[in-house]
Amino acid sequence: MDNLRQKGVFDHLMMLERAEAAGLQRHQKERVEELRTTAATLRAKRDRIRAETSSIKNLKDKLDQGLPLDDEETEDFVKIEQYLLTSQRMQLKDLQTAHRLIAGYDLVESKQGKSVCVSFHTAFEGVCLETYNMEVDLTRMVQISRHNIPPCIPLEKLAKENLQTDFKGFLQTLNLHLNALAGRKQQISLIEELLGTVEIIEKNQLCNFLALMCKAPAESDEAVLCTLEYGDLTRCLPTHVVIDSENKTLIESPQWKENQVLLMETPVHSALLTMRKLGSIS
Amino acid sequence: MEQDYEEEIKLLQQEIEMCEAEQEECLRAISRQHRETLQNILKTISIRNDREDGVINKDVSKLMTEISDLEKDHRRQTDISGLSLSECWVKTLEKSNTKTVHQYRLTGRCWLLSFQVEFALTEIQDGEIILKKVTDLNIISDGAEFKDLCGFLSSVEESKSVFLFFRTLRSFSERCKQRTCTFQHFKEKYPDVVQLPEGCRSEIMVIQSPQLPGCTMSIFWNITVSKEGTVKPKIDLLMKMPEQAQKLDTENVVESGPECFRSLLTVFGVEATIESLIQSVCF
Repeated sequence: MDNLRQKGVFDHLMMLERAEAAGLQRHQKERVEELRTTAATLRAKRDRIRAETSSIKNLKDKLDQGLPLDDEETEDFVKIEQYLLTSQRMQLKDLQTAHRLIAGYDLVESKQGKSVCVSFHTAFEGVCLETYNMEVDLTRMVQISRHNIPPCIPLEKLAKENLQTDFKGFLQTLNLHLNALAGRKQQISLIEELLGTVEIIEKNQLCNFLALMCKAPAESDEAVLCTLEYGDLTRCLPTHVVIDSENKTLIESPQWKENQVLLMETPVHSALLTMRKLGSIS
Repeated sequence: MEQDYEEEIKLLQQEIEMCEAEQEECLRAISRQHRETLQNILKTISIRNDREDGVINKDVSKLMTEISDLEKDHRRQTDISGLSLSECWVKTLEKSNTKTVHQYRLTGRCWLLSFQVEFALTEIQDGEIILKKVTDLNIISDGAEFKDLCGFLSSVEESKSVFLFFRTLRSFSERCKQRTCTFQHFKEKYPDVVQLPEGCRSEIMVIQSPQLPGCTMSIFWNITVSKEGTVKPKIDLLMKMPEQAQKLDTENVVESGPECFRSLLTVFGVEATIESLIQSVCF
């Protein structure tokens, strides 16, 4: 405080400012230094990868032309071996990814083969949806130890039916159930996204019941209630469709008879889009 | 100064990415075009490794373990899914921080049915979530069985449902396998009576007793696939008798045969029904 009084407030402020500037400068120096090192590391990495790429290309040319590879004893041969092994690993990795994309579920061993983890991938019309996992204990009896399968899926019943006797069959059925559920769910999201005029009055967790209120085109102010029941939980299409309205002549019309068939045979969001296009609903 | 470095770093990163992509492409080409050479070399390396324990290069041995793990995994997935992939061709069509597009062409078989599928997979990073979507699905298939799949194939291509296609292919192939096995079983058991005019993988089996040359019973075992992917067998009987014999057919066996056949099927199942049919012409 004494010092401050002697030199005045302005002097003190100036001192602080200088200290700050010095700090900033130091900071900047450090930053530049850091960038310099990063650049140097990257440069070295680039050079290494460039060299690697050119030797791999070289190797490919040799293989393409059917020329013999280098002598087994040379340093280069170790490298060549590594490239070939990497190439093989890459192919196997690609196969693994591809398999995942088509099979719908895949298996990983865990706990030294005492259990397996199964991942179920779901999709609807090309869009990948939720993934569910399940750990199956293989010691003594086949048993599901952990899972995140939605509670509405009749997992226990399916497990009782064929978990012990036909594991593959069990996975296939469960996979079918999960994909059907994901598909029904996705259809509801698509109605919400694409058809603002259609009101979802009722739905449930299992997405096997859906009540929709559709408005007839503008001039008439009538509403039509479509109720869809999905009796088969392995399917994305309903097993029962009921159409109701106060205007009985409307629902008896051939157009609405066709709409009912449409709702039975096509996913509900596409059926509604077609109905809108044909002028049945607004 | 600072800016110069930043720019250089950016350029270097781009260069590295390009180089890596090129390297990947080259390695993939090697594994695709020189499969046999690759297999031979791998065999030599693994034999050498077994011989000289401990002195091999660390990187090589790490790669070897990875490869053997991947091979094991591949066998397991093939076994559990029933889908065996023989070839996988991947190409990166687009790559940025938020979006990648890969083109896949896969060849393989499910039981005896071979398939080739092509599709593009778009992955879009949206915050924490990755959106994956299949576009441009194209299915090439051959084999006599596939003619029953035609309608389903076009609808599945339109809706881009890769999973649905393979799920259906799996249950379809199981049905085909069952049909073939049944036909083969009867052909072996009754070689004189049973004929498979279009081979054991087709839908026709003909029962004809050598003692009754003019009378044939043909079984048409079709496997239908709905657009939604539901696979169902449809088995019908067609009876043929010479005109003279038809006159003696007072109980209308020829006419009522197919109907009786259908009710037998529901009660006894396929094998027992066909068995009894064959028994009826073998004295």
